[in-house]
Amino acid sequence: MLFEGTPQVENTIRAVLRDVLGLSQDRVDALRPETPLFGSLPELDSMAVAGVLTELEDRLAIVIDDDEVSGEMLETFGTLTTFAARKALA
Amino acid sequence: MLRFGPDDAPVVIVAPPLFEEANRTRALLVDLLRRLAARGIAGVLPDLPGTGESLVATEDATIERWREAFEAAVERVWRGSQVAASISIRGGALLDTLALLPARWQLAPMTGEDVRRDLLRTMRAAGFVGDEAELLADDGPPIAVAGNRISRDLWCDLHGALPFTQADEVRLRIVRLSTDPRPADHRIDAAPIWRRTEPAGEPMLAEAIAADIAAWIAR
Repeated sequence: MLFEGTPQVENTIRAVLRDVLGLSQDRVDALRPETPLFGSLPELDSMAVAGVLTELEDRLAIVIDDDEVSGEMLETFGTLTTFAARKALA
Repeated sequence: MLRFGPDDAPVVIVAPPLFEEANRTRALLVDLLRRLAARGIAGVLPDLPGTGESLVATEDATIERWREAFEAAVERVWRGSQVAASISIRGGALLDTLALLPARWQLAPMTGEDVRRDLLRTMRAAGFVGDEAELLADDGPPIAVAGNRISRDLWCDLHGALPFTQADEVRLRIVRLSTDPRPADHRIDAAPIWRRTEPAGEPMLAEAIAADIAAWIAR
């Protein structure tokens, strides 16, 4: 599902992953919807997830409830983008 | 308490971020104080009870106690020097509210709710599956969060705690990162190093902060 404004949300997620995980700009630019995240990116452990989610909340002015945080939401760059876009652009 | 800079210079007192963020930003703060000293501004980084070198157990720390400790640290500086401002980073903005200060400079200030949200999420990441209401119960042992033991008093304190804002009648400058949409007097283009589990040195951020503080204090 493509919301108008999703590219902006996507770029924000790239920036957050870059800033919180210390990834290079090149590396985050290379993320595609199907790129696996949690469980595949070694930098993205549970503690880093906490930082990523809070930073996303701050930058997108959204609230992410504990019960919305799941393996599925964090599975790929695409699932995270869809989740965040749905909240940010609602 | 770390002190840098000339003996007769105006002094800024740093209120560091809370909990793990204090560790993550310590190198940045020391770098900042060195840069301020090079600009003729003295700086102090106090140890708060229950943090760093303090002998007080972390579970005895509360926001109120930290505020009193910070107020006392500022008062000590006043006895020999001219205090110019507090410099607070993130949750440190909650701590300078009792102190006698002519000015306050805040980087990415947080409310107690913001701190609580961060802590709760860290706890969840570490496997806490309980209800937040459990944490607010009066009795019970301190809560363990990523190596820190947090008393229930502190957890309760956080709920209402607020930094000074532009609505209060104090001389205040709020600086945020350019990625932060909240209101600010000035923005710095840099990453939030307090989020990184292993931050490297950030000379550009330290320099940007030092330059802004020095220019503002001079006005």
